[in-house]
Amino acid sequence: MAILLNQYYLQIAVFVMVNAILGVSIYLTLSTGQLSLGNAGFMSIGAYTCAILTVKAGLPVYLAIPLGGVAASFISIIIGFPALRLTGIYLAIATLGFGEVVRVIVLNLKITNGALGISGIPTLGTKIGKILSSFGMSKFGGFSAQQVSTLLVLVILLLVLAFLIFFCIRLNRSRVGRAFAAIKADESAAEAMGINTTYYKLLAFALGALIAGIAGGLSAHLTFFIGPKDFAYHRTVEILLYAVLGGSDLVIGPIVGALILTLLPEVLRSASNYRLMIYGALLVTMMAFRPQGLISEETVRYWKGKLGRGSKQ
Amino acid sequence: MITMKKGLIKWFSGMTIGALLLTTAGCGGGAAPAANSGSQSGEAAKIGVISYLTGGGAAYGQAIKEGLDLAKEEINAQGKVKVDLIYEDSRGDKTEAINAINKLINKDNVVGIIGPTLSGEMFAAGPIADQAGVPIMGTSTTAEGIPALGNFVFRNALPEFLAVPQAVEKAISTYNLKKVAVMYSNNNDWAVSGYKTIESTLKKNGVEIVATETFADKDTDYSAQLTKIASLKPDAVMVSSLYQEASLVLKKAREIGITVPFVGTNGFNSPELIKIAGAAADGAIVASPWFPGKQDEKVQKFIADYKAKYNNKVPDQFAAQAYDALYIYASALEQAGSTTDRQKLRDSIAAIKGFQGVTGKFAFDEKREPVMSATVLIIKDGQFTELK
Amino acid sequence: MFWQQLVNGLTLGSTYSLVALGYTLIMGVLNIINMAHGEIFMIGAFVGLYLVTYLKVNIFVAMAGAMLASALLGCLMEMLALRPLRRRAVSHLAPLISTIGVSIFLESLALNLFGPQSQAFPTELATVQFELGPIRITLVQIIILGISFGLMFILRFWLAKTRVGKAIRTTAENIETANLLGINTNRIIFLTVALASGLGGVAGVLVGLSFNAVEPTMGLSMGLKGLAVLILGGMGNITGAMLGGLILGIAEVFTVAYGASSYRDAVAFGMIILILFIRPQGLFGKRQGGRF
Repeated sequence: MAILLNQYYLQIAVFVMVNAILGVSIYLTLSTGQLSLGNAGFMSIGAYTCAILTVKAGLPVYLAIPLGGVAASFISIIIGFPALRLTGIYLAIATLGFGEVVRVIVLNLKITNGALGISGIPTLGTKIGKILSSFGMSKFGGFSAQQVSTLLVLVILLLVLAFLIFFCIRLNRSRVGRAFAAIKADESAAEAMGINTTYYKLLAFALGALIAGIAGGLSAHLTFFIGPKDFAYHRTVEILLYAVLGGSDLVIGPIVGALILTLLPEVLRSASNYRLMIYGALLVTMMAFRPQGLISEETVRYWKGKLGRGSKQ
Repeated sequence: MITMKKGLIKWFSGMTIGALLLTTAGCGGGAAPAANSGSQSGEAAKIGVISYLTGGGAAYGQAIKEGLDLAKEEINAQGKVKVDLIYEDSRGDKTEAINAINKLINKDNVVGIIGPTLSGEMFAAGPIADQAGVPIMGTSTTAEGIPALGNFVFRNALPEFLAVPQAVEKAISTYNLKKVAVMYSNNNDWAVSGYKTIESTLKKNGVEIVATETFADKDTDYSAQLTKIASLKPDAVMVSSLYQEASLVLKKAREIGITVPFVGTNGFNSPELIKIAGAAADGAIVASPWFPGKQDEKVQKFIADYKAKYNNKVPDQFAAQAYDALYIYASALEQAGSTTDRQKLRDSIAAIKGFQGVTGKFAFDEKREPVMSATVLIIKDGQFTELK
Repeated sequence: MFWQQLVNGLTLGSTYSLVALGYTLIMGVLNIINMAHGEIFMIGAFVGLYLVTYLKVNIFVAMAGAMLASALLGCLMEMLALRPLRRRAVSHLAPLISTIGVSIFLESLALNLFGPQSQAFPTELATVQFELGPIRITLVQIIILGISFGLMFILRFWLAKTRVGKAIRTTAENIETANLLGINTNRIIFLTVALASGLGGVAGVLVGLSFNAVEPTMGLSMGLKGLAVLILGGMGNITGAMLGGLILGIAEVFTVAYGASSYRDAVAFGMIILILFIRPQGLFGKRQGGRF
């Protein structure tokens, strides 16, 4: 148990959760067949909004994080209206451009403190630690307050993620989800059936941005510091990788992708020189041999069938 | 379908738990004994190093590693204390720096940490070390506010707000500057912080700033900015950037006929600047604690040893400060008399006075900022010489 | 100052055009955006640099070598990353993602092979300059301008008049039909990718020469600029790529000269976003059909 609660592993688990939430964000946009490469940009809007609200305006974290998400989602609607007339690669490039523009703006604004970034952001862990010690609890059967507060942060993140997954699964079974699926399968056919494709595409886009923004706000409050470099092109590629590796048919796909791609670098610490080469090769191989990702609907059906039969025997 | 949904949720929770187990058990093994157990003095002190070893800025991280490795060999050969370095690569990324520092503190149980390379990484990693009570010392993190992160956070890098004004003021008095142009890399925290110091020093001295132009790290085309500056005919140009950009700026400036003196921040004191910019570097002014031309036995021995070990390369400031940092740790470890007690190490680092390193006399003030002096240098005929 | 800045803009722009030509060729024939083009350009620059530095060859031989190496690299990419996708019906996003993979692979490979430091050509070619009235222009700038315009005209002529050019255009129109007409489309695709990548390699050497810096991340920034030009000029449009590059170069330089230099990097993508919203087919593109 002591090994399990090692701060190092807890911290990695925290990053797994944040990345999994980012995975959900790209899943939502992809569920209408739209590839957005602007998720890092939305994440950055969420992170900065949230950090500025807590550090400069003194808002409590639990209010600031959703507000960061709302800000990202608001911007996404503004750029979404014209952008979603574009399809496929055009949208991908426009959103990629959007991410770069956000980065340059962040570098130039006074309130974001340019390249110096915002430091001294109170972390969720320290906040929880303070609350705990105000109750006079600083030791928990051999575990330090730091461990316990990180563990609590992890539980909060897990709850957020669980809620998002629940939400996505409900969504898929709803009218909206079916519209998303129809658009993904064939946009013109969906339109011919009377689905307001612009509305649903915009909805998916805005939901993706909302969640990316929330993930941004969370990450700002987990790392003490945010700077413009954290949300550059490579971050976008990483988020894209979650969906490509895990698969984007089911919400669980990008989450598994995020899990693997957050753990792998830690396991392969000594080979960190080659990490990006491995990622690159992974993208190419996945596209060539398994474009649907590791987990697709068939995979789930297959394993369900197999396990079902196994339990009967 | 409903059962499938449930199945998915169950499957997911299974996956998450599995993942947690995997992270812990998979990497685990013999981790996490208490750090303060058994402090035999014969044992090597484990010092963690977080450095920018791969990726775009690896040139700086590698120089730091070279300086540290050389110091480690010498310290272990002298035998008063034994040190062992555990390197972690942060790739200039704050998330990596956070993971690296947690690994070093909680898995490798290091007694102290050197690094990370960038100020931005330090802002994310410093508080973690402070909370865990592990001393951490930046060797290249010059941005304002770093030791303020906590009682365990130190640096032996001379911050911009101490070094830069010296160079700027010296240039103002030597060349009687009335109007100058300023250029800086605006996506580099280090360069921006240097720029702010330049700006405030100029204002304080009543020098007019005729133009403020920016560029980005890794930019290659500076003709637009420099053409604009040339047309304004300033008395001098002040540049805040790392040496790669600085040398390209100098080259282009001389090419289009800007002959006025250039004053730079830390990026200008690298021997690489002269190597890349060649004759164009002549007339560049910088204040630096590190001066390879210094007639000092210690400095010259360091340069000779470094050259012998690394293929005739002249050490730059990154290497020199890293070299000193490990010696500071070694002398603090000696004082503390323990190779594992983090608190004692912290206290003896804070108490260091009159330390003589290759970057000069050194001490920490009560805010854990370095107290050291810089020399104002000018490049003449491809050599750093003191500007008098 | 205006005229000098215009020259600065034109030289910068012509390097963008050179890079964008490669994008546009591949876009025109294969209908995909090759996100790895910037990295192929960077590898080309390194090959040229090493040829000049270590084998002490003449700069034009180095350019030929760089061209050959990047063309081979392009063919390798076509075989490993693009052809498998054509065989099976996958989403049109697949090649985009696959080439993003190639790009980060190559960038990381270059970082490991060549190190992160920027390196310069040992030649003094870049310092030769002429003064014409108020403006100052270097020999390399003239060479770049000459080569990019020369290549543009050759390409246009070649595609319009020669047999192979016609085959390429047919393939660009419709691969299946071209196949039926007896064109070996695989060979044509190979040729196009090799040509585009080779152009990228030459551009790499020229850009490295003119700015005196070759380093592994130069591909990403240049690639993104080339991409911007591709959208600006209209996808698969050679004149568009040429003029789009010049427009972007001039716009960037004038942003620095008369506006705020800190917004320079937003110009390219601000333009992309604007163009996509106002005129998605690009400044010089036609709404439908007719590539090249």
